[in-house]
Amino acid sequence: MRAAGLLLTVLLASGTAGAQDYLNCHFVAGWEPSGAKRQYIADNLFEYKDGSAEGYLSFGFVRMQGITCASGANTLDIDVSEMGDADSAYGMFATNLDPSLPVAKIGMGGQVQRQSASFAKGKYYVELVEVAANPDSDDTATMQAFVAKMLGYIEGRETPPAVLEWFAKEDLASTRMIPESVLGLRELKQGYVAKYKLGQAFIVQEASPEAAAAVLKSLRERFEGATSAKVGDEAFQAKVKYLDGICIFRKGKTIAGYANLSGPEDAATQAAKLATRIP
Amino acid sequence: MAPKTSRRDFLSAGLMVPVAGASSKFGFWKPTETTAAETASSPVKLDYKVLGRTGLKVTTVGFGCMITSDGSVIERAADAGINYFDTARSYSHGNNERMVGTALGAKRKQVVLSTKTHAPDKAGMQQHLEQSLRELNTDYIDIWYLHGVDSPADVHDDMIEAQQLAKQQGKIRFAGVSTHSGQKEVLPWMAQKGAFDVVLAAYNFSMSAAGDAGMEQAIATAAKAGIGVVAMKVMAGGIRRAKHGDPLYQKLTQPGAMLAALKWVVNKPNVATTIPSITDNDQLEENLKAMGNPLSAGDQKILDAHLEMIRPVYCRMCGQCDGACQKGLPVADVLRFLTYADGYGQFALGRERFLELTAEHVAVRCGDCAECTVQCPHGVHVSDRVARAQELFA
Repeated sequence: MRAAGLLLTVLLASGTAGAQDYLNCHFVAGWEPSGAKRQYIADNLFEYKDGSAEGYLSFGFVRMQGITCASGANTLDIDVSEMGDADSAYGMFATNLDPSLPVAKIGMGGQVQRQSASFAKGKYYVELVEVAANPDSDDTATMQAFVAKMLGYIEGRETPPAVLEWFAKEDLASTRMIPESVLGLRELKQGYVAKYKLGQAFIVQEASPEAAAAVLKSLRERFEGATSAKVGDEAFQAKVKYLDGICIFRKGKTIAGYANLSGPEDAATQAAKLATRIP
Repeated sequence: MAPKTSRRDFLSAGLMVPVAGASSKFGFWKPTETTAAETASSPVKLDYKVLGRTGLKVTTVGFGCMITSDGSVIERAADAGINYFDTARSYSHGNNERMVGTALGAKRKQVVLSTKTHAPDKAGMQQHLEQSLRELNTDYIDIWYLHGVDSPADVHDDMIEAQQLAKQQGKIRFAGVSTHSGQKEVLPWMAQKGAFDVVLAAYNFSMSAAGDAGMEQAIATAAKAGIGVVAMKVMAGGIRRAKHGDPLYQKLTQPGAMLAALKWVVNKPNVATTIPSITDNDQLEENLKAMGNPLSAGDQKILDAHLEMIRPVYCRMCGQCDGACQKGLPVADVLRFLTYADGYGQFALGRERFLELTAEHVAVRCGDCAECTVQCPHGVHVSDRVARAQELFA
């Protein structure tokens, strides 16, 4: 217990040192710090984020460091969350992005709006939220300036998870990392979902082809009336309530498929296309 | 300290609707063998209670949508009969509301839908409400909570005005407050204030383990005043805080642990419904079984085992350590402050109370003593716990 406490202290202390670099209100002229820097770990994130904290924890949240800046009557909260890994940081960003706006090339991905911004770089998920005296003011330039400066101080990967490239781009509406139970199926522990104009595709990676085969077998047993399909190494298709036409296949250690299409044949057709994109 | 056994004196008439074999009726889902066996021997039923003065009849198990990633689970839950769904404006920056709205679709008017605003003033709240209505694809919210109220001081008159105005406009039906910490202060204040219909409060089996009746009293006070009580964090936030591989994680994720914890809350007479987070169909199936089934001896055993596991860290406030510390520390108080943080997730409250100790006591470090003179008769590892409090709060 004492060791755990010491570890906590060390974590917070090391976090403070790092925070000196990328949490800087003076990145943009006219902004000054307002109050002390804040730090949260999994144990106390609820104090700051209320119920939303659970979302952070589901993506392997490690700690958050933040600062509030002020410029006149405007305030800007900057929070940098260290997640379990870069994929989780991207997952956090993708879960919270505004789907009506494009994703910009900021780190692994980002969005800048009139009074807010967010991006993921390396294992860090960054949020900027301004509370402006004039709720209609366009402070995009300020957001961009802070983001540009912060990017230089945050290390890590700048490319989205490679798996996302496996999804076809045509009619793609959005992609997300799902931290647990993809499609609401516990067997599909963690993976990625791509929403299309019609239906959704998913990709889950297991540790080995054998593990993936076991997952597929378990899934098939869940779906009444499932029939075999010729996709990947092995596959099945079914027509079920809630997920409509579905086809799930295994290719090596990858489990993937399509759901919410009009029929199992459509799902199998789309799944076959997806299978060709998976190395 | 130990959770009580089942009590059936529910607030409502306890309308029971048998839905045995519901899973097979609601689509493809074939439950696991364990589930099937349990379902056969104890059919799943829907239990309802009245949510305080709202008069709404809600299933005692609701649905916390915060971390649900696939709308099909919400849709399935609504079909299975769960009729209370909870989200918030801040969840996933509004994406959660959008997903919930899409998933409920045409069933929206058949369920009780709650969301929350964290806006600090009337104008911000009104903006949030319009966004929530749009994202949830509805023209009214059943319960609109002020999100994360830790103290009565967090609530300003204009926020109450915003709720009342929204009621008059028909945009919300009932006004609520959600509170993660400070319940013992917030709930009695709500009861006295008379402006709120519902409270959403963190409440779980570990909270009674300290022999602390304060939380029970606060909930009873709210319920007596006609405020509908909705419980959240029924697993004490344990699963997500515990790390894979550690004993706590293993214990909390063992089969039946979630169900036992849920039953404990469901069977509390002053709690109308609960909003456990549900991410998949298995969890949904398991949660459904908390309705219509009392807390069994087996459930009690699981909870007892959990409490036993936390025994070395859980102070019962018996006072037998009074005066035992050679440095004069009020040991039980310090352990209580630590419990605020470790047990209830109320880090700020724990730190605040710790820093209210005398400067001399705040400066004490257990590591400076060669040997601890405090021996807890209940097995709490006092020096380790107090040292943790010092490292965490000092």
